[in-house]
Amino acid sequence: MRRRDLLIGAGSLAALGGGAAVAFDVVGSNDGNGVAPVELEAIEAPGSDAGTVTVPEPGRVTFLELFATWCNVCESMMPELAAAHGSAGDDVQFLSVTNEPLGNTITREDVTAWWREHEGSWTVAADGDLELSRRLDASGVPYAFVFDSRNRITWRHRGRTSAGTIRSEIRAAEG
Amino acid sequence: MTPTPPTYDRRTVLRAAGATAVGVSIAGCLGVGGDGGPEGTVLEPPENYERRKEIDLPFPDYGEELPEVTVPAPLHDRAVTTTEFVGDRHTMLTFVYTTCTTVCPGLVTALRRVQADSISEGYAEEFAFLPTTFDPETDTAQTIEEYCNRMGIDREVGNWYFLRPETPERAKEVVEDTFGVAFDGGGGHYEHASLILLVNKDGLVERAYNGGPPDAGTATDDARTLLERW
Repeated sequence: MRRRDLLIGAGSLAALGGGAAVAFDVVGSNDGNGVAPVELEAIEAPGSDAGTVTVPEPGRVTFLELFATWCNVCESMMPELAAAHGSAGDDVQFLSVTNEPLGNTITREDVTAWWREHEGSWTVAADGDLELSRRLDASGVPYAFVFDSRNRITWRHRGRTSAGTIRSEIRAAEG
Repeated sequence: MTPTPPTYDRRTVLRAAGATAVGVSIAGCLGVGGDGGPEGTVLEPPENYERRKEIDLPFPDYGEELPEVTVPAPLHDRAVTTTEFVGDRHTMLTFVYTTCTTVCPGLVTALRRVQADSISEGYAEEFAFLPTTFDPETDTAQTIEEYCNRMGIDREVGNWYFLRPETPERAKEVVEDTFGVAFDGGGGHYEHASLILLVNKDGLVERAYNGGPPDAGTATDDARTLLERW
């Protein structure tokens, strides 16, 4: 069982101002074997066909960003992701995944509308039951990951990042 | 097997506000004492319970009573008392301000996920959700309403009450003095402690998630376990 080895902020004032990362336990699921892939529902949206996607897909590098439609930082990340996507080849699995519960107050159509509004043009999928988010120990959004072709996490980042960073992390994973 | 140097272990820890972070390090994970938790709880003691007991935590922790305080719920045109659901519903509480873009959305999301689960699994009437703002100057009724809509809160099922102390002074009394959630700041920027309480129908804390939002799914798992064992 994975141990939580960090408890922070008991009785403390946590500095949580602009851009400060929140506390979380980063315990990689890497043990040399990589992350077991999860089947996610892909949402019909610009650049994204409805269906099932395997994430992370073994055999090629995967870039993944977890997001939510309420998240302003995620919104501001879209141009960065678009730029990074534009320079990533077809040999990279590039996708965004919302981990909001869908179907009740936020529907798939809402995600599609958000995607269109923010000019997404790559695969967008849903992790409504948090299977992938749990596997990755992702406690917030946006949360970006790069996996190598053996599904090992080579990079993870919570919060804002840039197209340049994503590009170089993808390149590094390609080896 | 070739060991791969882990490049993902950049622990992004809480940045301390000045030197105010106590940074209680529970390195090495202490085992739970053999005698389980205090009477009246149904969840197992938290993993670091023995250590937590020794620390004088400012907020109510596992096995302790839910503090009682009455705060207006502007979207319901009435005041809600934190203990009014005792005997009737399990409750979840957290303390946020709506213009916070860092930890607060994660806290509200954790509650929202349990709410969504309660609706899809048919236990919406077993739970009540009580997020409380500590920034009443910015968080007017209208702001709170917009925030709830943006966060995908279901307001039809009647288990979500967003509480708003009337004044900043009252917010101090409610959030900091009563619940032990320290905050400091203003003008849309606060430093604050992070806390979610999961409280059972007897008004006892089953889980106090501090130090940031719980991992994805943890709160929902705990809520389901509480429901099943009750």
